[in-house]
Amino acid sequence: MRDDPTVVALVNRAARGDPAGWNEIVERYAPLVWAICTRFQLSNHDREDVGQNVWLLLVEQLGKLREPAALPGWLATTTHRECLRVVTAARKSERLGTGLDDAPQFVDNTMIDEEILMAERNAALRTALAELPPRGRQLLAMLISDPPCSYAEISTTLQIPVGSIGPLRARYLERLRKSSALAGLGDPDVHWAKDEKHA
Amino acid sequence: MPDGWDDNELLAALGEAVKARRTVLEWFVETGKNAYAWHNIDAELAQLTYDSDSDADRGAAAAVRSESASIRALTFTSARLSIELEVASDSLVGQIIPPQAGTLEVHTTGGVTSSPVDEIGSFAVTPIPASPFRLRCRTEAGTDVLTRWITL
Repeated sequence: MRDDPTVVALVNRAARGDPAGWNEIVERYAPLVWAICTRFQLSNHDREDVGQNVWLLLVEQLGKLREPAALPGWLATTTHRECLRVVTAARKSERLGTGLDDAPQFVDNTMIDEEILMAERNAALRTALAELPPRGRQLLAMLISDPPCSYAEISTTLQIPVGSIGPLRARYLERLRKSSALAGLGDPDVHWAKDEKHA
Repeated sequence: MPDGWDDNELLAALGEAVKARRTVLEWFVETGKNAYAWHNIDAELAQLTYDSDSDADRGAAAAVRSESASIRALTFTSARLSIELEVASDSLVGQIIPPQAGTLEVHTTGGVTSSPVDEIGSFAVTPIPASPFRLRCRTEAGTDVLTRWITL
């Protein structure tokens, strides 16, 4: 997964001046930057500040990243550092109350690794989902909606018999499993943050 | 993908993935996309090399910080030019080194304004621009320097 060809291709496209490549990078990794801001309990104002800086720094680094595949790691570390800067500044000016006392106060590599793994896994799953035919996407979207849709609702909306939902669900999940977007996720070194069953 | 995942686990992971993206507010994503406008700007980057705020953290100077009158001072340095900046109550006052005439641009997310830099290298920006902003200094001799983003 460290050599995810998708990431390398996106970085190269953006570095060559393709804005669509850049936009995909942002779409893919904005949740990573956002999640780290959440760990630091940042306000929207501070999130904007951190987000600005992280993406602007990346724009400057685009042609210089020695290993484009290491982009998620670079983003996570940079975001973390920017969050620390904001939190430290806030503490100093005492513009915020004690709420921030729980926020991380130093660079925590375990947390960074976890966020990177989650972000990569989530990005791969979203890509795989987007590659399914519209009907499969719709069905899975209804199955994972929160609160979950009942089979009766799904049957009405998608106009399929209730009895077909189970088999269709199995079929589309199987297609998802075989997606090339998920191919990199089998790395035995990778320990998943939570859902993984340890044998 | 992890081989151990059954359908329920895969579906749960998918739910997490979609939720992680949905949680991100759209303006946050837009901010990231807009940053690309800065790709390939042909200016030399000036790094923050001094900040009185972080300096105050180190030891004896800490007491100074509590004086409300203390002025924040920042220095940005590139190979050919430095920009010294002081944050006054209602304006930014600055000096470029070596002293020379030119133009100072203030870039914010809302646009660009510019102020003259006089022949002894000083400039003033009123009012203080909204954060974050960055300064770009073009001298008459053709030096073009851009600071990193500044948040006051």
